Amino acid sequence: MAQTGGIELANLTKRFGDTLAIDSVSMTVPPGTYCCLLGPSGCGKTTLLRMIAGHDEPTAGDVRIDGQSVLGLPPAERGTAMMFQSYALFPHLTCLDNVAFNLKVRGVAKAARRKQAHEMLDRVQMDGFADRVPAELSGGQQQRIALARSLITNPKVLLLDEPLSALDEFLRLQMRGNLRQMQNEFGITFVHVTHTQMEAIAVADLVVVMDHGQIDQADRARAVYDTPRTTYVARFIGGQNVLSGKVVAVENGAAILDDARGNRFTVPTGDTAPGTGETRYLSIRRDRIEMEKLADPSAARDGTVNSVVGKVWMTEYQGTWVKVNITLPDGEEFVANIDDGRFFANPVHEGDMVLARWPAESVHPLEHRESSFDTSRGGMHT
Amino acid sequence: MAQHRKRPWTFYVLATFFALFVLFLYGPMLAIYILSFQGPTGGLTFPMNGVSLHWFQALFEQQRTGDFSGSFSRSILLAFLVMICTVTFSVMAGLAFRRRFFGASAIFYMAVASLVMPGLFLSLGIGLIFRVIDMPTNWFSSALGAQLTWSLPFGLLIMFAVLSRFDRSYEEAARDLGATNRQTLQYVVLPILFPGLIAVALFGFTLSYDEFPRTLLTVGPGNTLPLEIYAMTTTVTSPALYALGTVTTVVSFAAIILSLGSIAIIQWRRGGRFRK
Repeated sequence: MAQTGGIELANLTKRFGDTLAIDSVSMTVPPGTYCCLLGPSGCGKTTLLRMIAGHDEPTAGDVRIDGQSVLGLPPAERGTAMMFQSYALFPHLTCLDNVAFNLKVRGVAKAARRKQAHEMLDRVQMDGFADRVPAELSGGQQQRIALARSLITNPKVLLLDEPLSALDEFLRLQMRGNLRQMQNEFGITFVHVTHTQMEAIAVADLVVVMDHGQIDQADRARAVYDTPRTTYVARFIGGQNVLSGKVVAVENGAAILDDARGNRFTVPTGDTAPGTGETRYLSIRRDRIEMEKLADPSAARDGTVNSVVGKVWMTEYQGTWVKVNITLPDGEEFVANIDDGRFFANPVHEGDMVLARWPAESVHPLEHRESSFDTSRGGMHT
Repeated sequence: MAQHRKRPWTFYVLATFFALFVLFLYGPMLAIYILSFQGPTGGLTFPMNGVSLHWFQALFEQQRTGDFSGSFSRSILLAFLVMICTVTFSVMAGLAFRRRFFGASAIFYMAVASLVMPGLFLSLGIGLIFRVIDMPTNWFSSALGAQLTWSLPFGLLIMFAVLSRFDRSYEEAARDLGATNRQTLQYVVLPILFPGLIAVALFGFTLSYDEFPRTLLTVGPGNTLPLEIYAMTTTVTSPALYALGTVTTVVSFAAIILSLGSIAIIQWRRGGRFRK
């Protein structure tokens, strides 16, 4: 059976008065995909979700589900179901009646709808709570009821607006696994809005990184993490050190850059032909960094490429690795995540001068993109 | 436990003020309730001359005490009419005002302005217009309209408070689950707002039940209870008047207890029946 629930957005634009919330977004979500819309608050991800759901109408552009335009259709006729951030469980109805609501408004007889609702509650392991009202449930239980209430409509696409934000840390980890499992079980498309990088990477097949109403990168989770397209994605997703320098030469498919601190880096040029003097950006994963203590900081660096020198200002033990925060001479921050075994075999301390270097093949070129996103606020600690 | 900190002098000033307030609020009423149980030979003032239900009986003897049962049933009926109209139109207006429609603030200020208009003049005006268009004033027409100019703005203001706490995602969720606008209203919006609607109903009922100035010149041939009581104060010189006060207070309290009780029960059910 061919899977259904493919979503296509074509030049989708949304204005609220003078504000451009979504700026001509085009994207395709294949059927049966777990897709995460990821971005800082105000980036337009919830607006995008609401336009797919039919709760907001786009100013321009088209939303197609399985090839059919759904513009102007009410939510229920789009084959979508939305799970609201607050869950919006009806407080005056029991869990059973909440789940049976869609059947009730469609005119299904009482006995039949109760039977179906019980079955759906059973699938989310909540049948024991059928006669409770939402106020009696914990956040995680409410989420399951909300999920059951949406899934009973047999949607092709389930839209989840920050589904985990109301839960505490422990439950969040548990429920995100649960969501992924439900998506596998039902085999439908999930579109999940979040501002938490780890959450997106952990559950999604397709991660869509957004900023300012535009898509910066839409790719597999691993690609978004490992090979971010732009400086914005690299900084927002985190786990990367972002550096830049001016091109001084190009040889063997790599550009040689000098930065203002006197460091020299190499970066693969790919298909581009950088001109001398051009500024180029690159990223190196924090866990690809090698680090050694400098016995004599004033000693000459004898032309070591792909390295920086800085002062350790904080080390943070993370269990399997140690996060070493290094301040470069101009105040920029650089982070090395060192495997705990290697770190403790040769530890460094706050105040030590260190040389951090990386192999040339770990360098990933970036496109530069200005963003309002504040780098000190975001980023995963890996 | 010993008092460690001395209370400031303002505490005593405010406490005295509050005590006086309570005394003025309940003292006279209490005197009336007690005097309504005056013995058959007792008078309008203390001391009590025995205890009896004599004056409650006297209430129903029309000749001596005025038309109590007639005005009472009129007042109750009118209060119910006002209540139903107030709830219906306040809810509809409240829901409408959530959108910024053209002229919304003008309509709002016009509605609220009737709260500050002197009731007696309003009554005079309505009575006058009815005479001009040659329609007889009556409690179920002109007086009903006059009372609504008072209860509707109140109802609307309460609806604003009720709706300000209403999460619109309930409506979106209902629509998402395939409900039509009518089903959303019937199965989701009204049930969730129901405790608030009871509050509006209570206001509609009590504002009408003891309304005086707006009714005075619009009521027509048959008096409402407050007007009848006012007439009695000049003609009736027996504790039957006090018995009347006690009876009407019981009705008011019954309305309040019924409303607040049902609100409490609904909130309790939504908070979870199974909790201890």
